[in-house]
Amino acid sequence: MAANLAQEDRWIPTTCGVCYSVCALQVHRVNGTVVKIEGNPDSATNRGRLCPRGVSGIMTLYDPNRVNVPLKRTNPEKGLNTDPGWVQITWEEALDTIAARLSKIRREDPRKLLLTGTVTTQDEVPFAKIFAMTFGTPNGWNSGAGNHCGTAEHLFGALLHASWSKLPDPDHCRYLLNFGTGTGSGSYYCVTGMAQRIAEARVRGMKHVAIDPFLGPGAEKADEWIPIRPGTDGAFALAMLNVLLNELSIYDGDYLKHHTNAPYLIGDDGLYIRDAKQQLPLIWDPVDAGEKPFSDPTIKDFALEGEYRVNGLRARPAFTILREHLKPFTPEWAEPITTVPAATIRRIANEFGQEARIGSTIVLEGKVLPYRPVAVMYFKGAQGHKNALLSSMALELLTEVVGASNVPGGLLGMNSCSLGYPETGQLKWTPKADRDGLMVTGRWPNPSPPYPPREVKGAETIDLRGMIPTCPGSSGALPVVMADPERFKVPYKIEMNLHVGSNYVMTFANPKAIEEAFRNVFQVSFALFLDESTYLSDIVLPAASYLERLSHTADWISSNSPVGEWCYHVRQPVVGQIAERRSACDVLLELVERLGMREEFYNFVNLMLEVKAPYTLETDSRYSWEEIVDRRYKSLFGAERGLEWFKEHGLVKWPKKAEEVYWKPFSHTRVPLYFEWFKPLGEKVRAMSEKLGIELDTSAFQPLPEWRPCLSYKENSRDHSLYAIYYKIPMQTFSGTYNNPWLDEVSKIDRFAYGVAINTETARQRGIREGDWIEIKSSPTGNTIRGQAALTEGIHPEVVAIAGCGGHWSKYLSVANQDGKGLCFEWLMPVGLDNVDIPSLTQDQCVRVTVSKARAQP
Amino acid sequence: MRYGMVIDLKRCIGCTGCSVVCKAENATPPGVLWLRVIKHESGKYPQVRRISIPLQCMHCAEPPCLEVCPTGATFQHPNGIVDIDADKCVGCRYCMMACPYDQRFFNAEMRYYFQEHPTPFEQVGYQRHQEGVVSKCNFCLPRLEKGLEPACVANCMTKARTFGDLDNPLSEISKLVRDRGGYQLYPELGTNPSIYYLPA
Repeated sequence: MAANLAQEDRWIPTTCGVCYSVCALQVHRVNGTVVKIEGNPDSATNRGRLCPRGVSGIMTLYDPNRVNVPLKRTNPEKGLNTDPGWVQITWEEALDTIAARLSKIRREDPRKLLLTGTVTTQDEVPFAKIFAMTFGTPNGWNSGAGNHCGTAEHLFGALLHASWSKLPDPDHCRYLLNFGTGTGSGSYYCVTGMAQRIAEARVRGMKHVAIDPFLGPGAEKADEWIPIRPGTDGAFALAMLNVLLNELSIYDGDYLKHHTNAPYLIGDDGLYIRDAKQQLPLIWDPVDAGEKPFSDPTIKDFALEGEYRVNGLRARPAFTILREHLKPFTPEWAEPITTVPAATIRRIANEFGQEARIGSTIVLEGKVLPYRPVAVMYFKGAQGHKNALLSSMALELLTEVVGASNVPGGLLGMNSCSLGYPETGQLKWTPKADRDGLMVTGRWPNPSPPYPPREVKGAETIDLRGMIPTCPGSSGALPVVMADPERFKVPYKIEMNLHVGSNYVMTFANPKAIEEAFRNVFQVSFALFLDESTYLSDIVLPAASYLERLSHTADWISSNSPVGEWCYHVRQPVVGQIAERRSACDVLLELVERLGMREEFYNFVNLMLEVKAPYTLETDSRYSWEEIVDRRYKSLFGAERGLEWFKEHGLVKWPKKAEEVYWKPFSHTRVPLYFEWFKPLGEKVRAMSEKLGIELDTSAFQPLPEWRPCLSYKENSRDHSLYAIYYKIPMQTFSGTYNNPWLDEVSKIDRFAYGVAINTETARQRGIREGDWIEIKSSPTGNTIRGQAALTEGIHPEVVAIAGCGGHWSKYLSVANQDGKGLCFEWLMPVGLDNVDIPSLTQDQCVRVTVSKARAQP
Repeated sequence: MRYGMVIDLKRCIGCTGCSVVCKAENATPPGVLWLRVIKHESGKYPQVRRISIPLQCMHCAEPPCLEVCPTGATFQHPNGIVDIDADKCVGCRYCMMACPYDQRFFNAEMRYYFQEHPTPFEQVGYQRHQEGVVSKCNFCLPRLEKGLEPACVANCMTKARTFGDLDNPLSEISKLVRDRGGYQLYPELGTNPSIYYLPA
């Protein structure tokens, strides 16, 4: 019988979901079995190629550890090591229980519902956000990765680049200053496409300087590695700025005058001086020798320097104030902080400034554009600190002062400006200017971008974001507030967590503290695996993986290639339903019906997913997930390009125009060089916190950058302790891939992937040899983690470095839970506001540890 | 005609995508890694370099493994690819001792990644492998026969790998070897590998 069946042999286009880079795939299926996953050569995002994680998805699809049926706990006691006593239930029972809980909460106070997700479920989480919005809760936590990414970096992405993230222009950049990111080396946004493009840049001669405590995957590919003490990148950047502006006088005056607020006049109160009539910020016109509103058409030139009198008051251009402000931050000042020799900082500043080629132009698509082939990259490594906001500000200003922002060769927003799909004009956004001339993003993944700042509210949310509008996404304060809402005057407790695919117990900080915050919450998890976070769940639903579900993945524009073509892929199931696994979007639609929220929900779907007439969802019909995706596609790409078209063709793409990629010269928006509005905002936050009786250090809300030591820096050298840091590797995504046996096999070969990098001399002083088991004890949490020493010359002597997020202990992860499969860095990090940068709510990710040889060597 | 490969260490980021795509393409069982990436560090802090070096069968023009094979299981195709006829292999593993690059693997008995739970992929894919024999990279011969490049070449994120004819001086790989100073591993052994590396 079987022999008579026609041989099935199909290639199915879809989209990867192992990280947030949304690479396009073609999946080879033979007689119902997936036999190969390849990159889709049509895609502009990854251009036919994949990273190891993308290729490895087969082994996650078919992992026998996967959750296949709905489960409920029988053990009422919850704990990180307490078996929940799972028993199988029907989908009907699961949904009845969930709907009853949700109904009760919605009646009482919908804010008691929390939504947790991560960036690898970027198709399901936004849909769940619409569910949460309709339900009436403002509480969400991108817990899997959000807090370990670029919280403050994303804030400056909005303020300076009108985008969530940035990448160097891979086609034209000639000098990449990389503060610890994995751009081009297997992590960060647009992983695969950027790996190709940055490799091309290396071959054509782009210089790459990596400033990083560890010679990790990013720094290995640099032409020069400059080891730096963790948490001091801001000091390095300040000294560079000082050298550029005060020693070398290298800056792009033309850019500063026309695209920043550098010429805006600042009074001695630190605020803009405004004209009496329109309240517009004033500038000084040196030709007419008088002040004028910044937008006055009669302006002949903008003064960047000098001191003037306006209405009898001292008035100085913001640029002058910045220059003055930077003077104390000399390379000699930075040397003992960073451990980088002053001469090196000076040399790098000079190289960077010279290579910016200020004044030069390039002709692209017949348009003469500024050519500034330098870019500064930083992310979690440099900004994941208590000093996140002010360090990030210093790092960002390097790009701004030389005018390398969103011009050929420079740093590009991902993706700040889109003129739309040519056939429909949809997917169109451009940065706009507000009344002060400052830029407002054209598109932002959350309901409102950080600028203009929202009203400072009291304890509306469970994560202080209501009070601190500068937090761009996920808040490092959530577990602190959740554990003790009364202290923060939050008038409710989180009662239920809708948990969409993140292992937050292992991916934020001290798992014991996280357990405390979450143990009394009724948790419903859409889960691929019974991972550590499901130990706190009450119901676990068998989630369809990215290879088993449908979605329009068009939204994650941060991973659309920065140059080349726009490209939007479909995600579709490549196999029939396995066991009882279901897509979260499907399930949410059923819950919408059970809760009677259809009308409001559809209205939000139409708005958030840009579903426009004649495809808008109407309340009198009930739509399946397939129908919603179909309508969205037709609304964006035209009647011909519905779901069926996408299922067959996989993707739609069209060329990017020069004015989309290099949009800055075409835009009339200005960005802050002086963050004038931070100060009054900080005063409002302080007033609110005082009113509520909450202690908050709001002193970092200031208009200009400086460097402040993290807690770990202040503990310097006590007990011969070291800094512990962690970093990303191309073989693993966060904590989610450690049960994949192919990735496990390649990780085992790399002694750094599962081990602990330690400087050879540092190890020798402690009697530690290569491969020894060592104990790393956290000074702030007292927790100890263990791993095998990987001795190297390529690490700062004061630092140990741990890759990714291994060290799993769930008994349901048969590959990942074995000894020696990496370490869970989070045990080292404390949960608490002392460890959070208040303006961005960034969690500090470097800690002081003592390192010793383990007593028992297994 | 002599098939060869150039691996550009300047492009390579050591991501191990080649290792994993080799596993997917050839459905090799646990412990059998026809392609591995190792790291090599040199220098003293702070002047340090670490490079990634992908390793696989070098398809030597003078293969030491072939000489020692008692059954003729190891043989060389006219295009230069060194191959193993599994039906002739008796698992003596002399070839493994002879290979100076440590690129041969013995599959004593068929194991599965999740022990007693073979995945559907493994149930289908492992039919291509025998127990008790030696296996290794064959430059994806079945793909070459279909006009495709080896899987590690086609998938490499950084396009670090170039495949072609070493005998043809006009081929891209011959040019890369000439222009970028391509070198072989252990040239002093006289094995004349068909894999060349370009300096990092």
